[in-house]
Amino acid sequence: MATFWDIFHLLTETPIFFVAIIGLTWGIMGGALPGISASITMALVLPFTYAMDPAQAIALLACVYIGAEYGGSIPAILIRTPGTNSSAATVIDGYEMNRQGRAGEALGISLMSGVVGSLFGLAMLILLTEPLSWLALAFTPASYFGLGILGLSVIASMSGGSLIKGLCAATVGLMISTVGTDPISGVTRFTFDVPDLIGGIEPVLVMVGLFALTELMSQSGSVGMARLNASIRIKLPSWQMMNKLKRSQFIGCILGLFEGLTPGGGGSIAAFMSYNEARRWSKTPQLFGKGSEEGVAAPETANNTVASTAMIPLLSFGIPSSNSTAVLLGGLLMHGLIPGPRLFEQSAQVIDSIYVGSFIAIIAQIGVGIVILPACIWLVNRPRHYRAGFIFALILSGIYTLNNSLFDLGIALGLGVVGFFMRLARFPVLPMILGVVLGHMVESSYRRSLVLSGGDLRVFLEDPIAVALLSLALIFIVFSLAREIRDARKAKLKEAHS
Amino acid sequence: MNKDILSGVVLLAIAGIYYTWSTRIADSTLSDEIGADGLPKMLAILLGVLAVCLIGRTVLAMGLRAAAATATKAETEEEEDDNAPLPRALGFLAFGAAYVFLLPFVGYIVATALLIGTIAIYEGAPRRSWIVLAAAIGGGLFYWAIFVKLLGVNQPMGSIFQGLF
Repeated sequence: MATFWDIFHLLTETPIFFVAIIGLTWGIMGGALPGISASITMALVLPFTYAMDPAQAIALLACVYIGAEYGGSIPAILIRTPGTNSSAATVIDGYEMNRQGRAGEALGISLMSGVVGSLFGLAMLILLTEPLSWLALAFTPASYFGLGILGLSVIASMSGGSLIKGLCAATVGLMISTVGTDPISGVTRFTFDVPDLIGGIEPVLVMVGLFALTELMSQSGSVGMARLNASIRIKLPSWQMMNKLKRSQFIGCILGLFEGLTPGGGGSIAAFMSYNEARRWSKTPQLFGKGSEEGVAAPETANNTVASTAMIPLLSFGIPSSNSTAVLLGGLLMHGLIPGPRLFEQSAQVIDSIYVGSFIAIIAQIGVGIVILPACIWLVNRPRHYRAGFIFALILSGIYTLNNSLFDLGIALGLGVVGFFMRLARFPVLPMILGVVLGHMVESSYRRSLVLSGGDLRVFLEDPIAVALLSLALIFIVFSLAREIRDARKAKLKEAHS
Repeated sequence: MNKDILSGVVLLAIAGIYYTWSTRIADSTLSDEIGADGLPKMLAILLGVLAVCLIGRTVLAMGLRAAAATATKAETEEEEDDNAPLPRALGFLAFGAAYVFLLPFVGYIVATALLIGTIAIYEGAPRRSWIVLAAAIGGGLFYWAIFVKLLGVNQPMGSIFQGLF
């Protein structure tokens, strides 16, 4: 562990401060652009790190990652377009707050919740890397299956009052996830000899289509949300508000810690599960989906926690739990650094730089956010006829960036039409997104488990992690169903009385 | 037709088509017991069952409570007010389709400028306004600077300009 003098040396004799600020700013910019994921943002800066000192280079990449995870929430709140996969859950209440003229408040909550989550994640990274890293190795395909099912269990409470419609949407999402190459045999499915479909349909296309394009279509011709005189001030949450948010932030921290440790978990599952649990434990669950502050705080805390805790399995064993940590692994290897216990002994300065750089970036996030967010609010409050074109062009440019493919643009536009019809028919889109995000993990881990066990289904009952996760999923489903039934009865009674 | 019944019918059709396609997935010697078509077939059946449930539930509700149908109608009308009319919404998306078509020919800057300009006019900006023209050209150049120059993304230059660069 770094001593005070090590940190003092880092701060005074290396450019770590500037590296952290540059990395953070670049990360926020990349994360805020739809289609530019955290991993792409990191990959874009990777070549520039080649000539840098290894410690500074890795710290830069870590800071870009932190910035990108936070930056994804900006378009999610302002234009209903999640900048990264993990900010999809922020759309629900963040955008609703924006519609109510509370964009500054929503961005303030997301900013501070991000800082809380990142600081918690960093503390866990520093203090618990060794004791917690065993979990990464304990994960078997059966555990992954349990994790996927746990993620899918959220569907029951994200169905917007109609479980059948939610399940239909989730099934269609799972169907979309089957497009591409079969994870076990390698044969292609539903690709119709189109090369662009061999790799499957990226979840971000589905999110952009269902959230952003549907919203743009729905608002077409309306005056929309042009509020030329609207305040562009960022409203950071007061102590009173932070006190109100502490429960949802705590949930976000715990689930973010758990998901960051589990390879393949990622910020998306953590964010959706935190949203779901924050609603379950909230004193005002009825406000969720209608502009709840807790609905912004929980997913933002979770996905920012993941940005730090995902480095635990990476630094301990070289296991990248997401695309972003895979890029970070690439950075480490490029500089001749082999992740593992020996990294902590032989390259202590690299580890110290990650810790110190991340800390600087997290604290600087508040300042950078206060500077750039008012400009973002000002932009989205311009008259609709100009704003719509700029947002549409931004989204299409971002999608093209994913694979340099016009086909991807067509897919996203098609999904925009699907989303519009779903909106008309009152089908919830979140279950469909969850299906797309988790489908591949659920199918591949289920089938891998059976291959390894020779087709014996008991494999799911013999793995303690899988049993724990599946039991949790069952509890979540039962609770959600009970709540659905209770709400339906209440509505019936209310109807009878009126 | 009631929207839920119509949705159920569409989902049933999707389930049928998806099932048919999943029967055409090739076999592989590397395949496991479940096979590449295992999950797709199961999902198709599940969607079919859910669609039937949706239709059944709606028909039952309509039959049992005529008053509820009136309430649903009122609710639907209210909901429609929130969304743009279908032709207008699809018209908006058609500009996106035109962008995809034009991009390889006219290149990124021109296609983006055209998209911003035409959407502005479609959304109610004055047709012969210099602001629209400036926003369109400025927008095209701004995004080009961000995506091509700053991020190094390889956006199409346009086949009609190929000889010039």
